[in-house]
Amino acid sequence: MKHLIKQSLVASVASALVIGGSVAVAAGMDVPVIKVTPVLEGLDKPWDMNVRPDGTMFFTEKCKGLSMRSPDGKVTNIYGMKGSSGYSSSGSDLFCEGQAGMMGVAADRNFDKNRRLYVASTSNKYHGSGCKTNFERCDGNIVMRLTLSADLKSVTDRTDIVKDIQYKPFESNQPFGGPGAHNGGRVRIGPGGYLWVAGGDRHRGVCPQSPELLCGKVLRVDTDGNAHPDNNPPAGFDKRIYTYGHRNVQGIDFRPSDGKAFTAEHGPWHSDEITALVNGGNAGWDPQQNTAGRGACPDQYCGYEPEQMDGMDPAVRASYMPMSDTRFADLMPPTWNNNGWSQGTSSAAFLKGSNWGIYEGRLATGVLGIGFGGTPIGQRIDMLSITPDGLAINAITRMPLGFSKRFRGVVLAPDSSLYVAVDEGEIYRVTATPQK
Amino acid sequence: MLALGLSSSATAGDAVAGDKRYHQSCHACHGPAGKGVSSYPKISGNPVEYTREKLQAYRSGQKIGPNSGLMIMMAKPLTDEEIENLSVYLKDAKYK
Repeated sequence: MKHLIKQSLVASVASALVIGGSVAVAAGMDVPVIKVTPVLEGLDKPWDMNVRPDGTMFFTEKCKGLSMRSPDGKVTNIYGMKGSSGYSSSGSDLFCEGQAGMMGVAADRNFDKNRRLYVASTSNKYHGSGCKTNFERCDGNIVMRLTLSADLKSVTDRTDIVKDIQYKPFESNQPFGGPGAHNGGRVRIGPGGYLWVAGGDRHRGVCPQSPELLCGKVLRVDTDGNAHPDNNPPAGFDKRIYTYGHRNVQGIDFRPSDGKAFTAEHGPWHSDEITALVNGGNAGWDPQQNTAGRGACPDQYCGYEPEQMDGMDPAVRASYMPMSDTRFADLMPPTWNNNGWSQGTSSAAFLKGSNWGIYEGRLATGVLGIGFGGTPIGQRIDMLSITPDGLAINAITRMPLGFSKRFRGVVLAPDSSLYVAVDEGEIYRVTATPQK
Repeated sequence: MLALGLSSSATAGDAVAGDKRYHQSCHACHGPAGKGVSSYPKISGNPVEYTREKLQAYRSGQKIGPNSGLMIMMAKPLTDEEIENLSVYLKDAKYK
């Protein structure tokens, strides 16, 4: 594996207008120059990153584990999955399967003092007897609080602070029907230092609207895994739940201007969604069978109906199986629905810092690209300008990177550059430089 | 069918055309040069006969594995010639 990359630049694109061979910056508009620099290559399914002020970068590889790239470019493998080699230590309960594995990573807001990271992973430690079929709860996703050694190269303590997020253990009769489907997995530290955990419905119809199951939910907990005292889910719900009714959330970040949480969520052959979260709100996904006019569905999951193995007009599919069902009084309507298409919105990060010029405050959204049933593949990073009420967008600009890949993870670094992980095995650093 | 007339060693596929077709329909999921990404498997490096057989099976609607629904949909429009081209391209495709 080649970790250190000698070349410093693979793309340099000015997003200003180019007229007659010269770059023209419109009067009054600060259009930054966007540059892309590769940071690591040859990785195995890199999924998420956290970058420290000195440039140290922690990153996960879905089927290998947690590693650290120090500012001098050296990579240290810190905490591995079962069967991984070359790691300082590993978790014998951690495994990867399909869409699941070691996923999100976030750092404590007091990381410089306590050296704590929060890492989401699939684990068999808490399966108990509940994973014999796809129709049991199967607690197979956890959030670990890892305390690192002073040199940041090993784990001195692991405490599992969330142990009961459900996992899909077996194949089912759906597209993407393998084990580990719809596993969410992004974690971020939000306002006040609380931990947000984004989940998926794990292909189980009852999950998103269930009051006690954590699949299909966004959690807000403290760094011990306890519910935030102000969480306001409906009566009878697990108090750790901030929002429910989700399909598969893999992007979450907080708007700099007001701290409001926004998610990026995969749609079912239609309607990827960006959503402004409301405390206790319902994202409106309910793929249960015999519900909302739908009958029995394969494996009790209507999520890809009415024709789950063939392409059809996404709008017709959406009218049958909506992402945001308007029958719910507590529905959080989407900010944006990707023009009705499903292309795989898998990550989101607000662009903070004046260096981003006219893009400052926009939500960068990574799109994997899925081209089924006539949908354009659409691999890209969008920069969305969102209205103050969070219910709509003003504009979308495609980030001028100069290439298209499966954009899995985006996170803003303290120096206001954007780090980007792609499924192909690379991590890039994207910088914006003002022209004024 | 073209494939029926081919022996295991006498493939007539065009790797360049296969590369082009791969980028139209396969690249977004299976990644560059069929290396496999995310939960989508590596599909390069297999014998031509193996890839041809699988694509023909998917095209006929046969289910093989948990992502059959996707593969059947993607393989439906493939012609015999395109299957042959893809099979030849993927045999030796390499990423970096």
